[in-house]
Amino acid sequence: MVKAMLEQGKIDSKQAILLLISLVLPTAILTAPAITVKQAAQDAWLSIIVATMIGLLIAGLVTGLSLFFPGKTLLEYAEEILGRLPGKMVGLLYIWWFLHGNALILDEYASFLCSALMPDTPVIVFFVFVTVVAALAVHSGLEVLSRFNQLFLPLVLGLLLVVFLLAAKDMEATRLLPVFDKDAAAILKGAVIPASWFGEIVIFALLIPFLDRAEEAPRVAVTAILICGLYLLICILVVIMIFGPHVSARWIFPTFNAIRVVSIANFLERLESIAIAVWMFGGFAKIGIFYYAAVLSSAQWLGLKDYRPLVAPVGVVLVALAALCRNIVELLNFLATAWPPYALGLFEAGIPLLLLVVARARGRGGRGA
Amino acid sequence: MKKRIAALLLITFVIILAGGCWSRVELTELAIVLGAGVDLSEDGRILLTLQIARPGAYTAGGEAGGRGREPASWVVSAEGRTVPEAERFLAMKIPRQIYWGHCIILVLGEELARREGTGMVTNFFQREREPRENIYVLVARGRARDFLETYSSLEKTSAQAAGFLERMKTGYSVQLRELAEMLVSRGIQPAVTAVEVTEAGTMPGQVPGGTPPPQKEVGVAGTAVFKQDKLIGWLDPWETRGFLWLKGETMKGVIIVPGPEQPEKLVSIRIRRGKTKIVPEYNGEYPRFLVKIRVEGDMVEQQTRENLATPEKIKLLEEEMASEIKARAEAALEKVQGEYGVDIFGFGEAFHRKYKKEWRELKYRWDEEFSRAEVEIAVDARIREIGLLTRRAGIPEE
Repeated sequence: MVKAMLEQGKIDSKQAILLLISLVLPTAILTAPAITVKQAAQDAWLSIIVATMIGLLIAGLVTGLSLFFPGKTLLEYAEEILGRLPGKMVGLLYIWWFLHGNALILDEYASFLCSALMPDTPVIVFFVFVTVVAALAVHSGLEVLSRFNQLFLPLVLGLLLVVFLLAAKDMEATRLLPVFDKDAAAILKGAVIPASWFGEIVIFALLIPFLDRAEEAPRVAVTAILICGLYLLICILVVIMIFGPHVSARWIFPTFNAIRVVSIANFLERLESIAIAVWMFGGFAKIGIFYYAAVLSSAQWLGLKDYRPLVAPVGVVLVALAALCRNIVELLNFLATAWPPYALGLFEAGIPLLLLVVARARGRGGRGA
Repeated sequence: MKKRIAALLLITFVIILAGGCWSRVELTELAIVLGAGVDLSEDGRILLTLQIARPGAYTAGGEAGGRGREPASWVVSAEGRTVPEAERFLAMKIPRQIYWGHCIILVLGEELARREGTGMVTNFFQREREPRENIYVLVARGRARDFLETYSSLEKTSAQAAGFLERMKTGYSVQLRELAEMLVSRGIQPAVTAVEVTEAGTMPGQVPGGTPPPQKEVGVAGTAVFKQDKLIGWLDPWETRGFLWLKGETMKGVIIVPGPEQPEKLVSIRIRRGKTKIVPEYNGEYPRFLVKIRVEGDMVEQQTRENLATPEKIKLLEEEMASEIKARAEAALEKVQGEYGVDIFGFGEAFHRKYKKEWRELKYRWDEEFSRAEVEIAVDARIREIGLLTRRAGIPEE
């Protein structure tokens, strides 16, 4: 089956790693710490380590599966494994998930900017603005998105580290004690939430065919997950060491509050603009990647030759979906309770696992085959 | 062509909207809050007092002319059932937009702290995005409003003066985020700096009609002790030192000890640094705490005539110093443990760190357990420097 590639661009492994970091980290840093600390208190950092391992497993699963079907994306090999109709169904589910997930990210993005920065601006303005910019990026293709990301992400990661270092004065390591205060169940419960963020790496399955060296995919995914895990670990340690577990759990965006605490010599302070810049960039990159995933997979599902005509309609659906969220309480509640089983259970681990098992059972795409 | 027009429209749209005109506020349209005070009004409502900066008075040369010193702040208050309601009533009196971002202190009136507690007030300051997590929380002996209405002679405003006092850790400086942590944790009860308005020095110079009146100044008056979120008592400045040494929070202060040979004359030792370690022990019935305080200080003055610059004398002074520190720490402990029965030292936290299983049970009645806990204080005091003199100068040669 020779088909014109939907995406002509190619990205190298380094770009892919950075892209995957942008895919996971931005919202993880913002909302995951509070939800995790709520479950595991000062042992939340252990939860992050567990979650990183789950993330690594998912990364291995997804890249492993993709390597059985070189040059094919998740949607294409789902059809090949399950047959045409069930494959299409799975594809439709994934398209829905990319859209819905992205709508939630948009909601987080807008809620944060609204509550932390611009309370007078209606959320719809943030939705529309970031979607329009993201649409431009998606329209330009994967290569443009990756290059943009490659340019800014190192800056963002660096700034974040610097800000965390500056907060060192207000940290107290004793706030992390006693270790293992919560039982294993609580730590695992806490791990499920960040794990569902790490699991978003499943989107990589759409991008692997566009890597210039697809065989490096497992290494790329593992590196990205490790970097994300490390950042989230640092982030959660910083937050707990500044606020203690009880207060950390009660903030909505604890990382933002932690950065606000920085005050050195009554002079170097009010660094939250950095946090907001980080978030503006990170949120945009993440929305862009999810957007791209939705558009690309829709085009594949419909069997189009070009995905560009879909950019605008998908954007409209995206904004409409995001606008369905009534308030931040609803959003946080959904993220803390429904998101893990929905995302992690179904899309990030469930379906890929099913695909692997069926592929193996039917003997398709096996390495030896 | 069509594309170009569309692009042009888009660019114009972005330039107009992204240029920052939305919710634009000029600096001159802001009323910058430096300090906020909350009291209980006569009919039990909230009386919110704001000290607002008057930027005009901050410009250089404002003090020219000796007498006509323009106050750098403006103090207004309004009542309401909640803090935001009072704030909205204030907005009717303040011709600018109230801006909380530079608020340095939050002062709670004694009455409010005692009867209603902090919970009625602090939530607004955490939930709102403008006030910061590192606002210092103080309790005024008396009314918060009186505190904010006081001028400072050295700093521009009393809020700034209090902010500097807090930053220098003259008392038990507690930021809003730390207060929240103490409120929510079962292993430590809240305590914050107590402040008061005192008559301090005078401004030199002539005023029409004789000597200038004594000036009201703000000052630290010890520590306010809370049980959960309600004020239950005070520690005076002397006890506060003992409390701080026990906590190991701030190792500062001067220790006065009697001279080894002339006990009626005194020797002053200034604490330079130190460390406190709390070692909890639990035998299954009641908790015990061993508090190890290590202090290092310099001798800064002697009233005695003897030569203190000998190793033996220094050793004697060190012993005296240790027992003095121990006595003051014990005094603070006794008052807190015996009279108030609340764990403001964080012994519970220390206990939690070591006995996490037992803590799960004890934490619900921790104040009780703390009250009957045995605390042993061991002080190791060292004197390092003795200033620039050896023997006392100014005494005739023998």
